[in-house]
Amino acid sequence: MTTETVTSSVRRRPPGRDTGRSPFGYALLAPQMIGFTAVGAVAIIWVIWLSFHHVNALAGTQEFVGLDNYGRILTDPSMITVLPNTFFFVCVLSIAGTVAALLLALLLNQSLRGITVFRSIIFIPALVTMVAWALVWSFIVQPEGLLDALLGSVGIDGLPWLRGGWLTLVIFAVIQLTKNIGINVVILLGALQSVPQELLEAGRIDGAGPPRLIRSVVLPQISPAILMVFMLTVVGSFKVFEIILLLTEGGPGVQSSVLSFEVYKQGFLLNDIGYASALAVLLFVLILLLTAVIWQARKRVVFHEDD
Amino acid sequence: MKTTKQTKHIKRTLNYLFLCLVALVALAPILWMISASLKSPNEILRYPPTIIPEDIKWENYQAVFELQPFTQQFINSVVIMALVAVLTILMSVPAGYALARVKPVASGAIFLVLLSAMFIPPEATIIPLFQYAAKLGWVDTHYPLVVFTAVLVTAPIATFVMRQAFLTLPAEFEEAATIDGSSRLRTMLQIYFPLARPSLASVVVLACWYSWNQFLEPLIYLRSPEKLTVPVALTHHEDPLAGPLWGVQMAATTLSIIPVLLVFFFAQRHVVSGLTAGGLKS
Repeated sequence: MTTETVTSSVRRRPPGRDTGRSPFGYALLAPQMIGFTAVGAVAIIWVIWLSFHHVNALAGTQEFVGLDNYGRILTDPSMITVLPNTFFFVCVLSIAGTVAALLLALLLNQSLRGITVFRSIIFIPALVTMVAWALVWSFIVQPEGLLDALLGSVGIDGLPWLRGGWLTLVIFAVIQLTKNIGINVVILLGALQSVPQELLEAGRIDGAGPPRLIRSVVLPQISPAILMVFMLTVVGSFKVFEIILLLTEGGPGVQSSVLSFEVYKQGFLLNDIGYASALAVLLFVLILLLTAVIWQARKRVVFHEDD
Repeated sequence: MKTTKQTKHIKRTLNYLFLCLVALVALAPILWMISASLKSPNEILRYPPTIIPEDIKWENYQAVFELQPFTQQFINSVVIMALVAVLTILMSVPAGYALARVKPVASGAIFLVLLSAMFIPPEATIIPLFQYAAKLGWVDTHYPLVVFTAVLVTAPIATFVMRQAFLTLPAEFEEAATIDGSSRLRTMLQIYFPLARPSLASVVVLACWYSWNQFLEPLIYLRSPEKLTVPVALTHHEDPLAGPLWGVQMAATTLSIIPVLLVFFFAQRHVVSGLTAGGLKS
């Protein structure tokens, strides 16, 4: 990105043509930038400001309390469950999500008859709204629902899907993962199809079998797309919200809750706006830190990064 | 020779088996939903459940419209979606063009700021945005769903996509047009915008998809049933005493999916490129 701006200013243009370039550019950018500043920047500063206050929504008063709300995060017993749950989803959804999408993309990249039909089918859940997907799944996992019936037919009796513990987290991860995997598969398929045939041919002539070809040629070639999918799933994995609200409301207790749901619960159900803002800031900082770490690590894992 | 042919055959069969399994996992919830929407309240709770409804009942679909102003809610969603798409285009196409072709001073920094918007989770800004909406008198109106969504989420992503699109178009067009005496504005409107039409379609799909799927925001901003959008309305098909009315809920969910699937089948290429646009060409 920075290299581009440098080259554009270095590249010489005839003097007459450059006059009015910046005013014209700013005029085009103005609607977007004014809107973004008026909403986005204000919202971020506002939420940070709120996180330092105790807000009484009923009386309409705000009292400065310094870092009290952040201190509460450390002492809140429910955070002992909520934060590990959040990290569980981040780890499982990003790693399992990326690996599963990659395997499916490799599977769907073969030239088999009717493969395009399968490519479309895998994309269909992505078209369904998350709410609809969560509702259908809540119908499937309800006691004596479809899932119990299927497992019952192989002799497994009704499992307590929604009563907390790891089983609930796993079923939530499955629901979230199957919903949007199609988008990631298509992104990776696009990358797979742009791998130069000559490279594969050269590998084959050198005697590499399919596993070796994938490891040494295909994966390095599509590594930028893999990184992109990984980053998208990391950011997305913080947003397991609809499923939790519609299936368990975070319960029992906070056993199936995550950070984003706690923001909603504290802010809009319990009206503890100061504390909810501190949680929101924590959520934002976590996402920024994680994406920054991944972005820094990209040079080690991504092949042939240009900029 | 024969054995290699045989292993090839086995391999292909295994591939198809696995593909069918994947397809089943993707489709089963949707098929189950349609099946449930056609069952009577009696049959829907039977255990073990029947896969295909014994006798098909359309009452659930009738009930969807009786229990909620579903037609109105559907129109709300469509109108909000269309407005988000329009606002997104109005902001992102000029901005993307400016970042790719005009490159005013500090455009690199501006691009980074917009890019960072893609990582702001909606949950992190919903509290101040709600207070913002309350101050503007926008609670229980559709304004925040159009304005906040477009400005904060869809337009920055769309700007990113449009910038990429304009970058791939040859710069020679601009030079040739300038020599022919075309103004900057005219070059942009008459030469570059028409050429970027495929990406424009992606951006529209992306904005529509995001707006159509929004749940947290309408849940918080909207109050009255006739103002709700479809995703929020779907969660309201419950009997306060008896719990969820599964049949009606599944019927409403089916109705909400049908238009999207129709669009997908008629414009599959655009839909796929739109939904993957945020991640492509990083």
